[in-house]
Amino acid sequence: MFTITLRTFRRLSQLFFLALFFLLFRLTDYSGLDEIPYAVNIFFRWDPLVAATVLLSAKVLVSLLLPSLFVMALTMVFGRVFCGWICPMGTLLDGTGKVIHASAQSSQSLRPVKYILLGIILVTSLFGLQLVGYLDPFSLLVRGVTLAVDPVFNLLVTGFFDTLYQYAPQWLSNISEPVYGVLQDSVLPYKQTFFQLSTLSGCILLAIVALEKLEKRFWCRNLCPLGALLAIFSRFSIFRRFPKRACRDCHYCAPNCRMNAFDPESRQLRHEECTLCMDCVDDCVNQPSRFRFAVPEGQKQIDMSRRAFIGAGLAGITLPLLSKVDAAHTLPRPFLLRPPGAADGNEFLSRCVRCGECMKVCIQNALQPCFLESGYEGMFTPRLIPRLGYCEFNCTLCGQVCPTGAISSLSQPEKHGFVIGRAVFDPARCLPFADQSPCIVCEEHCPTHDKAIKFQEVTVVNRQGKSVALKQPYIIPELCIGCGICENKCPLPGDSAVRVLRAGKQSEEDGFGYGG
Amino acid sequence: MDRRNFLKQVAVWSSGVLLVEPVFRITPDLLAAETVSPVLSVGVGKNYASLVASVLQPLGGMAAFVKPGDQVVIKPNIGWDRAPEQAANTHPEIVKAVAELAILAGAKKVLVFDRTCNEERRCYMNSGIKPALDSIGGRQIQCSYVDERKFMPVTIEKGKSINKWSFYKDALEADCYINIPVAKHHGLSRLTLGLKNTMGVIGGNRGKIHRNMGQNLADLNTVIRADLTIVDATRILLRNGPQGGSTRDVKVLDTIVASPDPVAADAYATTLFGLRPEEIDSTRAAAEMGLGEMRLNKIDIRMV
Repeated sequence: MFTITLRTFRRLSQLFFLALFFLLFRLTDYSGLDEIPYAVNIFFRWDPLVAATVLLSAKVLVSLLLPSLFVMALTMVFGRVFCGWICPMGTLLDGTGKVIHASAQSSQSLRPVKYILLGIILVTSLFGLQLVGYLDPFSLLVRGVTLAVDPVFNLLVTGFFDTLYQYAPQWLSNISEPVYGVLQDSVLPYKQTFFQLSTLSGCILLAIVALEKLEKRFWCRNLCPLGALLAIFSRFSIFRRFPKRACRDCHYCAPNCRMNAFDPESRQLRHEECTLCMDCVDDCVNQPSRFRFAVPEGQKQIDMSRRAFIGAGLAGITLPLLSKVDAAHTLPRPFLLRPPGAADGNEFLSRCVRCGECMKVCIQNALQPCFLESGYEGMFTPRLIPRLGYCEFNCTLCGQVCPTGAISSLSQPEKHGFVIGRAVFDPARCLPFADQSPCIVCEEHCPTHDKAIKFQEVTVVNRQGKSVALKQPYIIPELCIGCGICENKCPLPGDSAVRVLRAGKQSEEDGFGYGG
Repeated sequence: MDRRNFLKQVAVWSSGVLLVEPVFRITPDLLAAETVSPVLSVGVGKNYASLVASVLQPLGGMAAFVKPGDQVVIKPNIGWDRAPEQAANTHPEIVKAVAELAILAGAKKVLVFDRTCNEERRCYMNSGIKPALDSIGGRQIQCSYVDERKFMPVTIEKGKSINKWSFYKDALEADCYINIPVAKHHGLSRLTLGLKNTMGVIGGNRGKIHRNMGQNLADLNTVIRADLTIVDATRILLRNGPQGGSTRDVKVLDTIVASPDPVAADAYATTLFGLRPEEIDSTRAAAEMGLGEMRLNKIDIRMV
């Protein structure tokens, strides 16, 4: 029979926040208004790990990240409830654990790894190298869902309905199309997206899930640096399990603990490893165990040796040094365009937490994750690839959803003047030059006022020896903002005959820029 | 399931792809409309809704075009993420008025769409067209985004320059096709009017059309010949077309031009810019193909 226990409330809370996560994910889109009226990036804004690394690496206090203080305060009172009751990654792993059952014996030997990773991330960020995006659970999750899960989900569903639409008898598609319409208005993304690194992002997420086969919540126990940070703060918390020890001769709570938080020797609960899932309270058959407010006392040190601590520190110093001598930063990257409103090179990299929100919200699917173009530490940072999608002139969404200010939120007039690059023609391929045939599709689409692409009316002799009047386009660099619509719409096959090169603020730091 | 049954199922379910691609012919009597002077109606006024109705009067009103039970396609220009006053898209009040008149004339369904240049949701919203149509309510008017699956290859039998392109199914199947372009400047073709507006119902790489724009547009209009063309010249874009961006380039004329002859409508609208009809390549090409009349003295112009 179903009885309401503490576990019921925990599960409801987990489901609520998981649903909230996916709802906000879906709302990270154009809604018909120029502004997104919801704090769709709240999971990043209350993430203390994001706040800490941005504070250390960019040396600024980002007011957007103040909600992280709330999670800190919550942890300092109640311990790691965030991990057990809120975190959508934890919820997904709990759900997976119902299907994939851990096969290996639990051990606690890998537990310090998360502290080491946290140490490395914090120390490197102090030296301006931002690595949090590799390991922050929300960065991994939002990016994985944006770049891989959501596009695949849409591909499967639309593929199914498209097949019915095209090949099934009329009566069947008369039924399937309205169903498809309802899905489009609810769970499906507005349109099919395509991303670079989709396979890699999907595989990273899959690997985290697959680790459930080794241990329950393997990620949370051993790897999650946010969990490690909250663990450290939970040592001050005053809401604790009583009794502290698992009972002798009873095999309910300690072996079943999803965090394996009981010390095998002393049977004592390591409070900082506990996510307050309440399983041990609900399942207790002996003396009534419970959580109550109590002053912390007699705690062990956190599960990290001094050597590991020093090692993490050294690694945290070495990685930024190695990054400094990476040729990726000295090689000019003329086609590496950053989103409109992006901070200058180094500040951008130190603020960006690779959360993928900007790529999710980009209505032209133009923002794509970098691979190694700006070094390994720039992996998954956003770049504009105009041939895939251009930057919509009146759209300011990427700056609105960026949780750290790596892309600042621009007003529409600011956006209209923000230079992300400059277009350059290749007359060897451009039709009115190379083929003596009319085109100027680029001029038609150029959105700036006055147009940055103009044309010269010339009379040339074509290959047939006929004299033809042509309009040959050219760029006015002072007017071009590098939105890339010209590159996107150029009707040539393959590469466009007009390409956007890095310019403006972004180009100053590497001394590369075209047209000032 | 045995093999025979399997093959039968495959044949049934894939019959759609095995069918021959459709060929659309404009009947010769439509193409040979030279004998009678086409009627063209011009009106000036501030109230665009009533102006639409009065401009249609000399043409026999909407009932002359829309029959009860018809599936009507209204094709405005919604190409750009621009506000109505920037004159890059058809004025929302005109689109709304035309849709309402079509419903009054007994249309079963009114479909409004355009394959946009900027992001379609932004265009539909900021042009004011989708909000205007949504304000009418009811299920008869559908202002929906273009569905990529509905572009179908068409052999353009009469085409001089292009003989194959994909067209939007709804546009091909409409009982009554009403073209409502906005009159504006265009870098390559000088002006974009009714014939050019047909580019919003074709698929494929539209930039290629630019290589021989005038003739290509005329060719496209042999497949989709508007039953009624209503040119929105309430405000016209004089420079920086086709998307403009500043009201400094806009001239308010409060004028609407309507005609069942798409070439005549374009020819007359050209004069609003101080240009002659033959200066627009597409008008000339279409007239040469017999799609309509471009000589102003052969057009029965009614001022209302």
